Amino acid sequence: MLSRREFLGLVFKGAVLGNFINLVAPPIHQALAQGEVKKIPVLMIETGTCTGDSISLDNIWPPTFGNILTNLLDWRYDWTMMQSQGSQAYQVLLDTYTKNPYDYILIVQGTIVHRDEGNYNHVGLEDGRLVTGLELVRRLGLKAKYVVAIGSCATFGGPPAGYPNPTQSTGVQKILPERRVINVSGCPAHPDWTMGTLFHLALYGEPELDKFGRPKMFYGETIHNNCERRRYYDQGIFATDIGQKECLYRVGCKGPVTYADCPIRAWNDHINWPVGCNSPCIGCTEPGYPDIMEPFTAHLPDIPFPGGTKITTNNIGFGVLGVTSAAITGHMAASLYKGRLHKNLIKSTAKAKHRPSVMKAKEFHTYRLKHRK
Amino acid sequence: MDKNKVTPTQPLVVRIFHWGFALSMVMIVLTGFELHSPFTFLAFNYGNVFVVHMTFAWLALGFVSLRIVDAFIRKDTSFIPKLSDFRGFVGVLAYYLFLRDSLPPGEKYNSGQKFIFFSWFIVFAVATLLGIATYFMGEYLVWVWRLVGGWQIVRTVKFLAAVYFSATILVHIYLSFTEDLSRLQAMITGYERQEP
Ligand code: HEM
Ligand code: SF4
Repeated sequence: MLSRREFLGLVFKGAVLGNFINLVAPPIHQALAQGEVKKIPVLMIETGTCTGDSISLDNIWPPTFGNILTNLLDWRYDWTMMQSQGSQAYQVLLDTYTKNPYDYILIVQGTIVHRDEGNYNHVGLEDGRLVTGLELVRRLGLKAKYVVAIGSCATFGGPPAGYPNPTQSTGVQKILPERRVINVSGCPAHPDWTMGTLFHLALYGEPELDKFGRPKMFYGETIHNNCERRRYYDQGIFATDIGQKECLYRVGCKGPVTYADCPIRAWNDHINWPVGCNSPCIGCTEPGYPDIMEPFTAHLPDIPFPGGTKITTNNIGFGVLGVTSAAITGHMAASLYKGRLHKNLIKSTAKAKHRPSVMKAKEFHTYRLKHRK
Repeated sequence: MDKNKVTPTQPLVVRIFHWGFALSMVMIVLTGFELHSPFTFLAFNYGNVFVVHMTFAWLALGFVSLRIVDAFIRKDTSFIPKLSDFRGFVGVLAYYLFLRDSLPPGEKYNSGQKFIFFSWFIVFAVATLLGIATYFMGEYLVWVWRLVGGWQIVRTVKFLAAVYFSATILVHIYLSFTEDLSRLQAMITGYERQEP
């Protein structure tokens, strides 16, 4: 069987060549055929989601996603992909839960809605009772071998948890504090990230994770450090508008604060990635996305003020410096008018043995030293 | 006391600290603004801007440490506001708004100066911690990340710190040139002419 080291080698090679799944599928097939590993049952629960991660998974080619579902993993329950429906489908979920406890991988896609006991998000029907995403994910999560959250919503809350978060949404880790959730973040998650993590779990167990529970093999380095436009950045050559081919730092690129391997791996079957088509990285793999990454075309987030207005950091900077300059100019004018400036300067520069005091002469704004006649 | 005598007001360590820190802060803040939003007409080598920013940040940290050690050795609390300075500040403000003719009697520094100087130490410490955390992005000091809520917030706080420094430094320079030039002289030579 493929060693872990070789597997990690393929993770990188696949990123460069753009055929990661194609590279790992044959050895996994072989290991399965020889009985060295067994297919791990996978359940995918979609909570508050746009299904973007499923669509992203569908981009796998070759082998096709369908091939993986049936031949490499035991993909059992997934709204978007399964053929059966209704209680028959749901029974698969319940069966796996009761018959294979601590043996299946639970994938969660979508944010966990907390508002009103999670009742804005129903994911199943049991004995005539609507089951919330909050309840089901927690129940299945406690008995899963691994819990994998995919996409920005399931990992850190994502867009639904953005200000003012009307549904009180959070990521999955928040509702499963007793165990580690593996976070495959991204909006959406790259199919290689999801599949690579699943294969690693199936073959070697938990991969090395970063401080936010993300597998280091995919999220180990910032976008900026691998970016093909880094030489522009280093030389200080910046695009002044989106659509230009220089470094996009000035138009809000979040590459310097975002961890992912997009510059090498690229998207859509290795065709391109955001910076490659002249639009800034929006930082979708980071906790706090999208709030702290917005506006996507500005370097820093706007600062909220009470009353709902938001002011850009540049305006705050110019505002504060403008007010200060105006205050200094005003003070100087008043000081000239009142004669304080004259007084202070004479007092502190007059040649005398000790500091003299000054008195006002009759003429407007003229001071003279007291001891001179 | 002999009226002809000049009083030493600024020991050498304070003067070294002052000018070293002043130069470093100007460089840090200017390069910080360049890092924040590069001026297209400047076309600096960006890697170098970084190096300058961090070099002066380390230097500034050195000068601040020097001054803090010095304050401990001399038991010098002249720049630390006391409770009475809140009251004193009202008088200082009134003076600067031309509502009274002279500053309220104070110690080495007036209440306004104390508040500004002390705030610089605090803001400097915060910005430096955040700066060092950005430098090690994700390797060390991740708790700073968590505490503040993300690198973007870290950047924002540092930007606001830089704005605070530039605004207060402007006021500081303006007042040093227009209030009492002999105090400015003292920061260079160490001596100030004695009040009669
Ligand atoms: C008083 C101290 C400091 C001030 C006022 C300051 C100010 C700034 C400002 C305004 C920026 C631009 C932020 C942005 O808009 O993205 C910046 C960036 C940066 N500073 Fe500082 N800084 C200070 C100390 C430090 C220190 C001590 C270090 C490291 C040892 C440091 C390292 C950095 C780095 C690495 C960046 C780039 C961050 C990024 O691109 O996001 N700074 N600083
Ligand atoms: S385009 Fe973005 S990621 Fe690339 S070098 Fe510029 S700032 Fe860094």
